[in-house]
Amino acid sequence: MTDQNVAEEPPLAISAHVQYIQRLDKRRDEYEYWLTEHLRLNGLYWGLTALHLLGHPEAIPRADTIDFVLSCQHENGGFGAAPGHDAHMLSTVSAVQILALLDAFDDLEKRGLGKARVGEYIANLQNKSSGTFAGDEWGEQDTRFLYGAFNALSLLGLLELVDVDKAVEHITQCANFDGGYGVSPGAESHAGQIFTCLAALTIAGKQEYVNKARLGRWLSERQVAGGGLNGRPEKKEDVCYSWWVLSSLQMIGKTNYIDKDKLVGFILRCQDTETGGISDRPGDVVDVWHTLFGLTGLSLLDYPGLEPVDEVYCLPKSTVDRVLGR
Amino acid sequence: MADQGGSQHGIARTSRVRTEEQKQLEQEKIRKYRELEEQVRSHVSQNHYTPEVFQLTSRLLKLNPEYYTIWNARRRLLISGLLSKPSAGSSPSRASPSSSPSATTTTPSAASSSSLSTATPPRPASPTAGTSGTTAEADEAKDQESDRDVLKSELNFTIPLLLDSPKCYWIWSYRLWVLNQAIERLPTAVARRIWEEELGLASKMLSKDQRNFHAWGYRRHVVTQLESAELDGSSMAEAEFEYTDKMIRKDLSNFSAWHSRSKIIPRLLDERKADDAARRAFLDKELGLIRDALNVGPEDQSLWYYHRYLMLNLVNFVGHPTIAPAFTQEDRVTYVIREIEDIRELLEDYDDVQLIYEALFDYTLHLCQLEERQPDPEERVELAGWLKKLMVLDPMRSGRWADLERDTGLVAEVAALER
Repeated sequence: MTDQNVAEEPPLAISAHVQYIQRLDKRRDEYEYWLTEHLRLNGLYWGLTALHLLGHPEAIPRADTIDFVLSCQHENGGFGAAPGHDAHMLSTVSAVQILALLDAFDDLEKRGLGKARVGEYIANLQNKSSGTFAGDEWGEQDTRFLYGAFNALSLLGLLELVDVDKAVEHITQCANFDGGYGVSPGAESHAGQIFTCLAALTIAGKQEYVNKARLGRWLSERQVAGGGLNGRPEKKEDVCYSWWVLSSLQMIGKTNYIDKDKLVGFILRCQDTETGGISDRPGDVVDVWHTLFGLTGLSLLDYPGLEPVDEVYCLPKSTVDRVLGR
Repeated sequence: MADQGGSQHGIARTSRVRTEEQKQLEQEKIRKYRELEEQVRSHVSQNHYTPEVFQLTSRLLKLNPEYYTIWNARRRLLISGLLSKPSAGSSPSRASPSSSPSATTTTPSAASSSSLSTATPPRPASPTAGTSGTTAEADEAKDQESDRDVLKSELNFTIPLLLDSPKCYWIWSYRLWVLNQAIERLPTAVARRIWEEELGLASKMLSKDQRNFHAWGYRRHVVTQLESAELDGSSMAEAEFEYTDKMIRKDLSNFSAWHSRSKIIPRLLDERKADDAARRAFLDKELGLIRDALNVGPEDQSLWYYHRYLMLNLVNFVGHPTIAPAFTQEDRVTYVIREIEDIRELLEDYDDVQLIYEALFDYTLHLCQLEERQPDPEERVELAGWLKKLMVLDPMRSGRWADLERDTGLVAEVAALER
C-alpha cells in the first residue's frame, strides 16, 4: 500500500463486522428482516463464512445453526430458504456449504435425510440433453445453478451423479469472443457468470477450454480509477466484483493483472466502521452479501488477520482442504 | 452464490435512529405482513386452491416479489384450478412439473387425481364429462378463451412488479413460465400474439436501463421463441440487427447492444445469402461505424471491444463463422494495416489515451501473426514504445504489461527506452 492510501482508509474493523453479523438474526423488529426470509439459508452461509474468515467461527452457535439447516430440508432431499419455503438449488447449495463449514455432514446422515438424497435432488435438476441445471422444478436455467450443483456435489463426493461432460459442453457454448462467459449461450460476458463458469470448469478439471489470455485481459479491464472493480464494460464499480473478478483471476493465475493495493483501499473505504458491515460503494447501506464478498476479496489479497479463502468454493481454504481430503 | 436478491445496491447510508412512532408503524407493518404470509401458507399447505387464496398471493407478492415460494404456489394454483386441465392430446409432461416440490405440498399431478377433488375448483368453466364431438370442441374453445384471459391477466400482474424490481430473477422466470403455458394451452396464432407483445416489454425495460442483462436475456429468449416452429415463426435477425442499431445510435457506449450485434451478424449474413462482395461491403460499413464512434470516444471500452471483435474476424478465422471468410491473406493484411494506420491518426488528437496504444500494440502483433512472422526490428522499437507508454499511463495493470513484455521478448527494448 502507498503511504497516501494508508492515510485515507480505515483498517479492517474486525470486531464491528463480527458484531454486525451476530446481530443479523436479532433484527426481528425490522420489516426488512421478514421481507428477506427467502434468503435466510443463503444469508446464514454468507454470514458464517464471513465469521470464519474473520477468525470468529464460534460467533454463531454451531448446534443451533445445524438444527436450523436441517429444519429446512424437504423430503425430496433439497433445502428451502427457511422452514415453509420450497426447495431450491440456491438454498440447497448454501445448506451443503454451511454443513461443510461446520464439519457436520455426519449430522446430515444421522439426523437429516443424508447426503445421497441431497445429491439425488441436485442431480435431478440437470437437463439430460443440454447438460444445464434448473434452479428448481419450475425450470429456470442459468450457469449459476450449474456451478452451484458442481460446488455442492463435489463437496458431498457425489459429482459422478451428473453428466459432467455435457455440462462442460454447455459452458463452452456460453463463451464469448472477449474470453468471458454469459448467463446462457449468446449472453454478454458478465463477471459473476465468468466466476460460475470458470469455477465449474475448474471443479471439472477442464480449464483447458478457457482462453486465459483474453479472459485475463477482460478481467483486468474491470478495475476502474478508484481501485474498485466493475462487472461489465462501462459500469460502476461494486465491492461484490472484488470477489467475482479477483477469484477468477486467481483461478487462472493472473491476480497480478490488477492493482491490489488500490482494490484493498476501495474495499476498506466501503466499510461501516462504526456499526459494522461492508457496502457496494463507499457511503452506501451495508448488507451481509457485500460484507462477505468484501472480506473474501481482502482474503485473496492477503490482507493481514484474515483466514485464506478458497477461490473456487468461496469457503475457507481449511474447510475445502478438510472436506476434499487434500 | 451469485444471487443478488436482497442485497443493497446504491442506497446511501443514513442514520438508523427511528422515532417511537416510526417504530410502532414498522411493528404494525410487520404484523400485517406476517398475518398475510401465515394465511397464504396455511391455505397452500392444505391445498386450498381457491380464487380467494389466489388473491392473497397477489397481495403478498406485491409486498414481496422476491418470495419465490409464493410464485410457486401461484403456479400450482393456476395449474390446479384457474387454468383448464390439459386436454387428452397434450403431453402431460409439458404441462406439469416433473418432481415433487416438497414434503408438505402435494404435486399438481397427484393433486388433480386425488386429494384435490375435494377442493373448490375455481375455474369459471369446467369441462363436462362424456360430451359428444362438437360440444367437446366448443368446450375446448371455451377453455382456451378462459385460459387466454387468465394468462393475460397474469402477464399484466407482473408488469408493475417488474418496473419496480427490474433485476428480480423470480418475476422474470415466472413471466416466462406463464408464456410457456400460452404455447401449451392456446392455439398457435393466439399464443404468438401474446409472445409478440413481449418484445414491447423488453424494449420498455431496456429503455429504462439499457444495460439490464435480465432484459437483454429476456429479449433474446423471446426472439428465439418467436422464430421457432412452435410459434410458426421465421428469422428475426434483420429486425434485431436494426434494434441494436437503434440502441447504439442512442448511446454509443452501450456494450450490451454491441455485443448483441456481434452475435447476430454471422446469422444475418448467412440469411441474406451475402456473397463475397456483400460481405466485404458489410465489414467496411461496420469498421466505418466503429471508427466514427472511436473518433469521438477513444476512451470508451465498449467501442474498443467491438473493434476487437471485428479485428478477430480478420485474424482469427479458422473453425468458426466470420464476416468475410473468403478474404485472401492479402485482403486480411491490407485491412489490418489500414486499421493500424487509422488508429495511429487518433493519436494526433489523443496522445494520452491508453486504449489507443493497446490497440496499436495488439493489432501489430495480429499483423505479424497473419504474416506468420516475428515483428521486424522497426516494429519492435514501436511495440516497445507503446508498451512503455502503457506502463506509464496505466500503472494499475503493470502486471499485465510485464507479462506482455516477457511474452513478446521486448524486455531489452523497453529497458533501452528507460535509459
